[in-house]
Amino acid sequence: MTQFIFRRLLQAIPLLFIISFVLFAFTNALGDPLAVFAESRQRPSAAEREMLVRRLGLDRPIFEQYLVWLVGNDWMLVDVRGDGSVMEPGTRKGVLRGDLGLSFVTRKPAWTRIEERLPMTLTLMVPAYIITVVLAIGIGVYSSIRQYSLTDNVITGLSFFFYSMPIFFIALLTIYIFGVQFPRWNLPGLPIGGTGNGSFPDLLVHMLMPVFCLVAIQLAGYVRFIRSSMLDVLNQDYIRTAHAKGLSENRVVQRHAFKNASLPLVTLIGLDLPFLLAGAVVTERIFAWPGMGRLFIESFERADVPVMMAILMLLCLLVVAFQLLTDVVYTWFDPRIRY
Amino acid sequence: MATLGKSQPIPKLNEHTYVAGRSNLARSLAQLRRHRMALVGAALVTFVILFVVVGSILIPEADSRYNDPSRALQAPSVEHPFGTDVIGRDILARVVYGGQVSLFVGVTAVIVQILVGTFVGVAAGYLGGAVDSVLMRLAEAMLSIPQLFLALIALRLFSDPTQFPDFTFMGRQYSATMIVIVFVIGLTSWMRVSRIVRSVVLSVKEQEYVTAAHAIGASSVRTVLVHVLPNCLAPIVVSATLGVAAAILLEAYLGFLGLGVRAPTPTWGNIMGQANSYLNQWYYWFFPALFIMLTTLGINFLGDGLRDAFDPKSLR
Repeated sequence: MTQFIFRRLLQAIPLLFIISFVLFAFTNALGDPLAVFAESRQRPSAAEREMLVRRLGLDRPIFEQYLVWLVGNDWMLVDVRGDGSVMEPGTRKGVLRGDLGLSFVTRKPAWTRIEERLPMTLTLMVPAYIITVVLAIGIGVYSSIRQYSLTDNVITGLSFFFYSMPIFFIALLTIYIFGVQFPRWNLPGLPIGGTGNGSFPDLLVHMLMPVFCLVAIQLAGYVRFIRSSMLDVLNQDYIRTAHAKGLSENRVVQRHAFKNASLPLVTLIGLDLPFLLAGAVVTERIFAWPGMGRLFIESFERADVPVMMAILMLLCLLVVAFQLLTDVVYTWFDPRIRY
Repeated sequence: MATLGKSQPIPKLNEHTYVAGRSNLARSLAQLRRHRMALVGAALVTFVILFVVVGSILIPEADSRYNDPSRALQAPSVEHPFGTDVIGRDILARVVYGGQVSLFVGVTAVIVQILVGTFVGVAAGYLGGAVDSVLMRLAEAMLSIPQLFLALIALRLFSDPTQFPDFTFMGRQYSATMIVIVFVIGLTSWMRVSRIVRSVVLSVKEQEYVTAAHAIGASSVRTVLVHVLPNCLAPIVVSATLGVAAAILLEAYLGFLGLGVRAPTPTWGNIMGQANSYLNQWYYWFFPALFIMLTTLGINFLGDGLRDAFDPKSLR
């Protein structure tokens, strides 16, 4: 087991280096990060701009920039004027020492940008995800033990319907009905976007619609997944044996079928969890929710490389970590598996 | 799949039941015809295709570009069944011509995805060793970043209008981003296909007929093309079908964020992108979104039917 974890970690390290380099090269090619200063009131002169470019190292070859991003530049001197007259020691520590760099836009550490947005994203995504999984288990199991019944067909049809629905359609429809038409009909309408005035009940009210939309969209996939893995298990011989022993239907379903059917679910959840952090780009956009998805789009539009890289690398790291964790948890759920 | 506690009807004994040598394909098609949802899906897809084809015959293309600010944001009427948009263009005409582009992008993106995915999957599975681990690590790496993020970055890199100018094809002007987006979607979604193909190749590679093919001196290329690839056909067809729905959705999301195909080319996605700030004018966003949904719903139904039809485990 220890050996397995160790081997997986060793495989993950080169992978992370390669991903980070490719992403670094791509994000750096997105545009001129200094374009934001052109709009600002204190527009820098050409000389100041050039100095800034040198301080940020944007004039260096991409490999060198990557190296600086990785290990920092506090061990070398930066030629600020370009003629060797002013040599400043670098200030960056590099990602490997936990310094994700400063945002090109706000000049605050990239990590603080993430810290501001992460809680908001999690407030939205975690409840939505928990509701999705719990509902999906209930519906999926129910529909599998009554396969091809009317209820099952209705559930399968509905889940296809929502599965195929673009999130913006359901979001705009719910906003239109509950946010726009309800007040017109003198019914209590729901707020259209934002996070409210800071009080907890108001936050909950603002969460209703986005959480509903996220659940509606995600639910279908999980229901279908659980239904089909339950069906696989229900066809096994040991289920027939359990029935033959005279065990009650509930006991067979709960103890014998669902326990085994939940194994693939564990994998699915393990692989999906890290992506909750990425937020939901479109949902956050529609509901004006200040989350990670919007942060990514904002930094993307302004070519804010440090923030984009911070988000992307955080995701990659978590995906790798959760894959490993899933494998470990698997052995605990299923003692048949040995590494 | 056999049902628990319910017996399947015993097939009637007549000469049709025991016709010898029914091919796999014939059996799959028969299975598909019995699948009610697949038929509904096929009907939906046919409807959408007819809508964009017949629509383009009835409505001239110029209508989708003709704007008249004096009739901006009109609710549906006999003259404009889907209403008019913010600069007074007919939304019906835009949904028709945007639909053609969306469907084109969806289908061609999947062709790119299948070609790359199959090539990578066969290379990894058949060659094995270092090639396998490099390619599969690459697939893993690309899977660990949300596709939307990858697509956004790639799209920005290759959508500089000075490098990729608009082009004219059959009398219509298109934005080059339409072609770019095909490759962006295709090249960010091949990973699952390559994994499926690889796993099929791995299991087929050990079969005796592949060894036999080698023994009689067939080249590797021939072995792959004639003996290995046909086995991958069923899973490829299924994932290609479902892939079209996913590609249309991704195009719609990119368009919705205002980062997809650019003007002058309308797509369902970029109509949605313009419409999303006009919440009160429901017809503006409702119709393009409805057609996106009908298309993806139809394709998903069809894909699920195909999966059941091709999956030998589900043969009743």
